[in-house]
Amino acid sequence: MTPRKLLRIAWWEVTRNAGGIDRRTLAVAFVILALFGLVTPLLLDGGVGLDDGLYRVGIDESSPYYPVVADDETFVVRPGADRADLRNGDVELLFEGATVQFRDNPKSLAAYGELRGTVERFNNEQLRLEENGTAAFPVSVLLEYRQRGGGGDSPRIEDDDAGDGGASDGTGPADDGEVDDAGPGDDPGSGDGEETDGTGDPTDGGGSGTGGTGDRGPSLGGDSGGGLGGISGPLSDDQVSGSPADISPPFPFQSLVLAFLFVIPLNFLIQAYGSTILSERINRRGELLLASPVSRFDIIGGKTLPYFLGGMALESVIAIGLFVVVHGELGGVVSLLAVAPLVLLFLGATFLGAMFARSFKELTFVTVTITVTLTSYAFVPAIFTDVGAVALISPLTLVVRDLQNEAITLGEFTFSTAPPLLCSGVFFGLGAGLYREEDMFDQRSLRGRLLDALVGPIPRAGGSSRLTARLDPYVALDLRTARQYVAVGGLTATLIPFVFVVQLLAIALLFALGEISLILVLVVVAIIEEIAKSLHVYASFQHRRFEPGLKTALALGVASGVGFFFAEKIALLAQLVGLPELAVGEAGLQGGIVPGPFALTVALFLLAPLVLHVVTAAISAVGASRGKRQYGIALCLAMLVHLAYNLTVVMAVV
Amino acid sequence: MFDPRSSLFTVAKRDISSLSREKTIVLAICIQLFIAGFSSFLVVGLTSLYDPSSVDSEERLELAVTGEDQEKLVGAAAETDGPQLFRYDDREDAIGAFDSGDVDAVVSVSRSSAGDGTRLRVEAVVPAEDLKTTLIVVRLRELLTALERLERTERGAQLEFTPVEVPSDDAGSSSYFGFTYTILLPLLLFLPPFISGSIVVDSITEEIERGTLELLRVSPVDLIDIVDGKALAMVLLAPVQALLWILLLRANDIAIDHVGTLLVLVTAVATITVVVGVVLGLVTGRRRQAQLLYSVLVILLFGATVLLPEHPARTVALLSADSATTTTFAHVGGFAVVALSLYAVVRRYVGRVDPESL
Repeated sequence: MTPRKLLRIAWWEVTRNAGGIDRRTLAVAFVILALFGLVTPLLLDGGVGLDDGLYRVGIDESSPYYPVVADDETFVVRPGADRADLRNGDVELLFEGATVQFRDNPKSLAAYGELRGTVERFNNEQLRLEENGTAAFPVSVLLEYRQRGGGGDSPRIEDDDAGDGGASDGTGPADDGEVDDAGPGDDPGSGDGEETDGTGDPTDGGGSGTGGTGDRGPSLGGDSGGGLGGISGPLSDDQVSGSPADISPPFPFQSLVLAFLFVIPLNFLIQAYGSTILSERINRRGELLLASPVSRFDIIGGKTLPYFLGGMALESVIAIGLFVVVHGELGGVVSLLAVAPLVLLFLGATFLGAMFARSFKELTFVTVTITVTLTSYAFVPAIFTDVGAVALISPLTLVVRDLQNEAITLGEFTFSTAPPLLCSGVFFGLGAGLYREEDMFDQRSLRGRLLDALVGPIPRAGGSSRLTARLDPYVALDLRTARQYVAVGGLTATLIPFVFVVQLLAIALLFALGEISLILVLVVVAIIEEIAKSLHVYASFQHRRFEPGLKTALALGVASGVGFFFAEKIALLAQLVGLPELAVGEAGLQGGIVPGPFALTVALFLLAPLVLHVVTAAISAVGASRGKRQYGIALCLAMLVHLAYNLTVVMAVV
Repeated sequence: MFDPRSSLFTVAKRDISSLSREKTIVLAICIQLFIAGFSSFLVVGLTSLYDPSSVDSEERLELAVTGEDQEKLVGAAAETDGPQLFRYDDREDAIGAFDSGDVDAVVSVSRSSAGDGTRLRVEAVVPAEDLKTTLIVVRLRELLTALERLERTERGAQLEFTPVEVPSDDAGSSSYFGFTYTILLPLLLFLPPFISGSIVVDSITEEIERGTLELLRVSPVDLIDIVDGKALAMVLLAPVQALLWILLLRANDIAIDHVGTLLVLVTAVATITVVVGVVLGLVTGRRRQAQLLYSVLVILLFGATVLLPEHPARTVALLSADSATTTTFAHVGGFAVVALSLYAVVRRYVGRVDPESL
């Protein structure tokens, strides 16, 4: 790779790429976005009220519930409705005086549930108008989140201070009595919390989260919390205070906002990037560059660099802007470093996708898949910011913590950013394997291309590969056959980050399900690991890299299994931040330190997994050597063996 | 004699078969399934985290109670079938029990004077960074709301407003109802039109960029036929997918009303997005520009619908949940009229486009 050539190509990409975005398009896009900016306040302010008028209620003005129902737009008042209307399903709730009747169907029941929330909200609103504040809200609650056993982690703030801090910074309106001189809703902070659109929970303290440490918390949660109906977002959730209705479980609303802020722009970026890469492959346009005296790595690097820099510039603006808004000062270096792997991951996946796609239509679907998958990868774990280790799966958590001025250890940083970084490396590597004249311009199916990409790094029998040829000067033996096996093992090892990311995502998606999640995670683990160990072996048999035969297949299985085993031990990284504290985490990244005698530890920790990986890889390799159907059957068998082993280990250890 | 209508269907068929050949439509449906699953996961997962009553956990909360007014809390706990209380005289002891994991939370109750009266001051300590935290906080809130209600009744004489009684909680209503109709279903119904428009952009710009449009024009069809065919294929694809979703939801015992009207709405929206796609594809002739403009424009259009008396998502919700009003039907009609007239305008525009200039 020569930097000069790479930069030259990057410059071309920016200035005169065929099909690049011209100024006129950009101008139009900006006008549209500006218009959208005009609409946004309406969206946030008025609330879209998606469930307005969803439930119809038969009620007379004489009923004590009339003002309650009339006050909530979710309900439509149908005066004069009677029991026949209720039976026919023309109204969902029917009031006869103070008693309410409903039918036993989902809609009626949902209306009834909604009514309960509405009544509570209505009561609280009316009581807020009372002169006697202490009688209206006779109970004040101070909720303190405390690290168990840690003792000093979350120091208890003095009563008076906590009260002041709580009330003066965006606590719920009902909290007015906490500080005597603050009238109901007359401090700026509580204004935010008053918007409710009736979709949520009875609490409406949108900004109630920031509590005693409000000076550190941004107003994000408060501003937008109203739109979601009282999901309060404590950014630094040491304390929450207010009346009982104001306390609500920690909901990391800011992660949601952050995820959208950081991830959405990337989706536009990859659209343009995917187009660039694919347009090289259309009408053999890329042939010119390929024929020029530059390596394909120069071309790929040059084409990617502008998009990477552009993406990072965008993210820096967002990160620095956030810091200025939140802290009033410049900052966000850690956030930027944390987002960089995410940008690379998006680009890498898109690059590989664009190398696979046959047409723009296919590319659209590939991009959408990437968008959805990676957004959930960045987003889902970040939801659980308060659950510690799981959250760290997503680099966005680092951003949240950075914003909260929380310390981030190097181990945590590595744990969070290394998998996406390595994964993007794998994507670029596999894609680069296809960036050749003979692969770029043909119209193979997605499946065929996947196999092509996987077989790329495995040298032909007797041929040399650049990767393993470097060993030649150091090793005297003839390694040409061995090289192939090394390449297979190496490829398995390279796929590990990918396996790792999928497993982490599975953990994040499944751990909330409770008991069953352990089993489900084990199933996912077995499936993904067996595929990673055998798919390229299958591909190399299909491409005749190896002669089918039992001995070859077994040897390949051993190579793949050993490669996987070594790379998996790098997953020990997970131990650094204590993810295995969660039983699920332990199941996913098995190889937890088993308590017990040393010999047992060695046996369980090193020997058993090695044997497992070799055996299962050999099973699927033998299947792969025989054909497509046999491969499928053998793969399932290998997965079952793997699952059985995992279950045994987990039963024994947990 | 050559029948222009058959050429239209030939182009439409060609486009659809290219989709199925590339299996991209399978991918599209998988993506939609994933998005639906993902959003359902989000809601179901979060709701169960957020509203533990939906999980129906049998486990009772164990609370350590301290403070001079702990009797009040004990009284409130007797009203709800809530947590198990353990009394501690000393707060430090209670915190110790909390730290060692013997109790789930520590609650101290004391009386404090505030303004013109006194107030019960509750200090609750709950574990940070624990999966159970949400459950604990919600249960705690139930308990404290009961306490608040008792106290309010005691001081009722000082209040002008008598709180309306909250209906009892024995109906077992599901919190997913609103989500299904107001978010999930609109999402599922509006995603296909969005994708359809995007495919039209690809389909047109690809013909232009690859130069195959010229080949098509050598055949006895004119540009209007080609555009008609492509548009028709994609417009029809959207309601078919929408119908699939509706049937899938129905199979899951989710009643959906006004299916016909919903499909009309989806078709109308798909026509609008497809028209946008066609125009952008023809005007720019390049995929990148067209796709970028298409996505921002469609987002803008969708955002702008907030200005309508009834948001399209709400229209879907009201129709499907059988709460539709005249306004709802008027909206569907309005969308249909807008779609048809836009399409007519675009046909005129296409008729004037000089194919040589593409």
